[in-house]
Amino acid sequence: MPLDTSTYNLALLRIDGRRWNELRQLRGQIRTQAAADGSSYLEMGNTKIMCVVTGPSEEGKRRNQGASSASAAGSGSSTSASATNAADILVSVVVGGFSTVDRKKRARSDKRIQELQATLAKSLAAVLHTHLFPRSTISLSLHILSQDGSLLACMINAATLALVDAGVPMTDYLVACSAGSTSSHSAADERADPLIDLNNQEEQELPFLTVGTLGASDKVVVLVCESRVQVSRLEGMMVAAADGCVNIRAYLDSVVREKGHRMVAEGAVEKGASMAMDIDV
Amino acid sequence: MASATTQQHLLLSPAELAYLHSSLSLTPPVRPDGRTATQFRPLTAETGVLPAANGSARVCFADGTEAVVGVKAEVEKRKVLPLSKGHEQIRESDGDDAVAGENDWVEITVEIPGYRDDDSSTVFLATMLSEALLADGEFTKKLWINRRFHWKLYIDQIILISPPLSYPLPLLSLTTHLALLSTRLPRLKSEADEDPMFDDDWDASRFIYPRQSSDTTSATVGSRPPVTLLVMAVGDNIIFDPSKEELAVADSALAVSVGERNAPVDEASETMDVDGEPQAGRQLRLLSVRTIDPPSRLTAPGVPNAVNAAAWGQGGPVAKDPGARAAEIDDVEGVWKAPRGGTKVAILGAMVQKVLEKGGIAEEVLDGLDAVDLG
Amino acid sequence: MPITILQPALVPVHSTRDESYGSESDSDGGVDLEGDISMRPAKRARRTGDDSIVTPGEQRQEPATAHTQRRTPPAIISSVAGTLSKTNKLLSVRPLRARYTPEIGDLVVGRIVEVQAKRWRVDVGASLLAQLPLSAINLPGGIQRRRTETDELQIRTFFSEGDLLVAEVQQLYSDGGAVLHTRSLRFGKLRNGVFMAVSGTGGGGGVVRAKRQTFVLDVGRAAGGGGAAADDAEKIDVVLGVNGYIWVSKHVEGEGAAAEGTGPGITRIEESVGLNVYSSQNDAIPPGTMREIARVRGVINALVEHGLRVDEEMVITGYHEAVEMARADGDGEETLYLGGERGKRLADTLVGR
Repeated sequence: MPLDTSTYNLALLRIDGRRWNELRQLRGQIRTQAAADGSSYLEMGNTKIMCVVTGPSEEGKRRNQGASSASAAGSGSSTSASATNAADILVSVVVGGFSTVDRKKRARSDKRIQELQATLAKSLAAVLHTHLFPRSTISLSLHILSQDGSLLACMINAATLALVDAGVPMTDYLVACSAGSTSSHSAADERADPLIDLNNQEEQELPFLTVGTLGASDKVVVLVCESRVQVSRLEGMMVAAADGCVNIRAYLDSVVREKGHRMVAEGAVEKGASMAMDIDV
Repeated sequence: MASATTQQHLLLSPAELAYLHSSLSLTPPVRPDGRTATQFRPLTAETGVLPAANGSARVCFADGTEAVVGVKAEVEKRKVLPLSKGHEQIRESDGDDAVAGENDWVEITVEIPGYRDDDSSTVFLATMLSEALLADGEFTKKLWINRRFHWKLYIDQIILISPPLSYPLPLLSLTTHLALLSTRLPRLKSEADEDPMFDDDWDASRFIYPRQSSDTTSATVGSRPPVTLLVMAVGDNIIFDPSKEELAVADSALAVSVGERNAPVDEASETMDVDGEPQAGRQLRLLSVRTIDPPSRLTAPGVPNAVNAAAWGQGGPVAKDPGARAAEIDDVEGVWKAPRGGTKVAILGAMVQKVLEKGGIAEEVLDGLDAVDLG
Repeated sequence: MPITILQPALVPVHSTRDESYGSESDSDGGVDLEGDISMRPAKRARRTGDDSIVTPGEQRQEPATAHTQRRTPPAIISSVAGTLSKTNKLLSVRPLRARYTPEIGDLVVGRIVEVQAKRWRVDVGASLLAQLPLSAINLPGGIQRRRTETDELQIRTFFSEGDLLVAEVQQLYSDGGAVLHTRSLRFGKLRNGVFMAVSGTGGGGGVVRAKRQTFVLDVGRAAGGGGAAADDAEKIDVVLGVNGYIWVSKHVEGEGAAAEGTGPGITRIEESVGLNVYSSQNDAIPPGTMREIARVRGVINALVEHGLRVDEEMVITGYHEAVEMARADGDGEETLYLGGERGKRLADTLVGR
């Protein structure tokens, strides 16, 4: 699908009317499912993902039963010899056949999906305190209901939300954002601007990468770039993406807090100690 | 036919099974969640959740089981007809009966996380759902564009919790029902056998199941997608929408698919006569019935006290008691025994009857589903 | 109406254009690669205002050893989302929801998932399966002796896969795994009732640690209408496992977890371990009691669904409220169902809304 992004230079507005550093509309929910340990629903524009977390739990004998495709996914931390001293992270991604404009059924063994699963499992293993749960497994299943660009970023964000809901300790939110560059690789355009939070149309045409950072810091946990991009533009893209991450973190945090406040108000959780005066001096 | 999904690992102790079985056998049955025998679990439903699909729905039970169904339509060129048949078609084309569908125009897939795509249970679920949908041959007619082209409908269903908290068939069926009700196809602009051209305006699209209110004179009015209900029997009690624990002690379980099709002519004349009573009653049709192998048959039996005592050598005289031996084979009050043998025909009949009768369960379920906003 | 279909609650819409998340970068859309985009220093998100909720990555400056908090000198950073609690200098965060974390002395309800040579593996809803060694159970008949090979061979006659039991956490491994014991009359196999799982301690709206986890509920008033015979037929045992697993059953005098105190003296405990301790044969239960058991289960379900805590007081008040509600509605005491609208009403009454 050829796309004319050259109009960007005229008004400095993207196809969907955003400016270069604007995110799409975010919508998030946690605890969408009563029965799961943790669950979340996240929309970034028209990319919509549901995530369900089970665990950390010890599978016991049942492991053999569910061993089908899910465990073939990516088990994040099992690479090292210390596999038994930390929780395994299993990620399984289900892409709804209806999620794209043209229906495309992806088999569970699809290479692309396997790579997404592995990326997600590895990056989460770096952020979660898996050492607290030896011999157990944290399994995530992500359901992609609709995709419109920034798929990996949205998956990471949804997974983070669900894990926070499940109460799995982590160093900080793992947030991700994609960034692209306004002109294609071949156009040796020195004045290319970075763009953040790409939609599907932009992803088709422009070089882009996904950056996942640890909370609002500049510590990069994930960096995935699958397109050709001039090295001179890389820094600008990463900076822009990291900036997007800060905003996304703020949003995710507000979702969690809102839920927490509601629970406190309902009396489901005891009020926290009133520490306002002691801390943050 | 056995379905692997019903055999999931639901561990229940023999004492629990015995308790559930005896409480469900009471008249009226006492269900663990206090529902009446015909009561369904409350559910939350919404339609049109997916912008990229022609129709979609999402249904959640209060316990957290949730399903999303998306319907997607694509234009497909019709397979070349055999010559002889082709001639016939052309001759018939003057009449209306040229509109005919084929079953492979609909494809249903079920996804349960953690299960393989070709897992027998998911395939079985998909087959059962498509069987109900295709049973009367009316549905595929809706997909007819012209003699060279037709719509191909993909119905993708995702269950969000694995393993599902209850047998997912009714959940999927209700969700599919709502998704199909909300499915819209673009309006055809081209005529006859031209290559199809469609109206870009989504507002002009037509519902695959036209709504009652919009146009009462339309030919297909009143027709609704089928619903499949799960019914189980314990003793002489017939219980609807069983939860997983309840299904685990079922003597037998049935999946009953019911469709509704009001004969268009009658409906038109009826509304003429009886003003203000357009829903004088639903014309329900039984589309299919399948027995489902309840997981109860695979459960381990409980051990009566007498046998236990014998095993520990503590029973003293009890151990020598011939009653202890008999207890291993016979039924002992309060000890779980997996149901054996088939179901009585009378019970099966009563189960189907209860679904279909006027003012019966199917009617009420359809009424309930009607109330869902198709926004 | 057999089927209730509800409208979903709407997802709140948040616009990224809210001031709070608005990008701080220059608004004219230009970009400068020299770095005048705010390449912010690694600054942790600070708490804003008086928030009783802390979230992962949130900084606590006070240097102290912390539980469920990660220490990166000199800052203390929360690793879960929850409410803060402080004991002297110890800061900890109670997560909004998490799996059950066993602690010594907890009364738990568990389900056997695996039988091994000398021990059982028990699902207690924690991140690891708990263990129940053969040596930590009472043998039937109350004999005090070493466990022999014969006992090992017939390990399945005590507990086998799927069996439910109530036990106490005796010991914890360093990895958090629990070891259980059932060496008391209060503990052992469960029968004559129904099981339900809700979120346990640590999760919002579940079973909370209380003075008593087990109690007897007198349901005579509601169930006795039909002249249900003996006294114990009108009582229901409720075992609220700290791990969120709950057992509701018919009360049997002198047996079961709620019998503490009423049982025989300490010296006779071992002797009186009857043969029925490992029975999976239910006693005859009158229909009235079964109905009330279902009602109690419904009450607990309603409590959990509406995010209320589950403890003795709430269950008892909730139960009486439910009986009243069924009466007031005029559809008789037979109405047990407490889902949907009725559950909401019950919950509202309980919290006085």
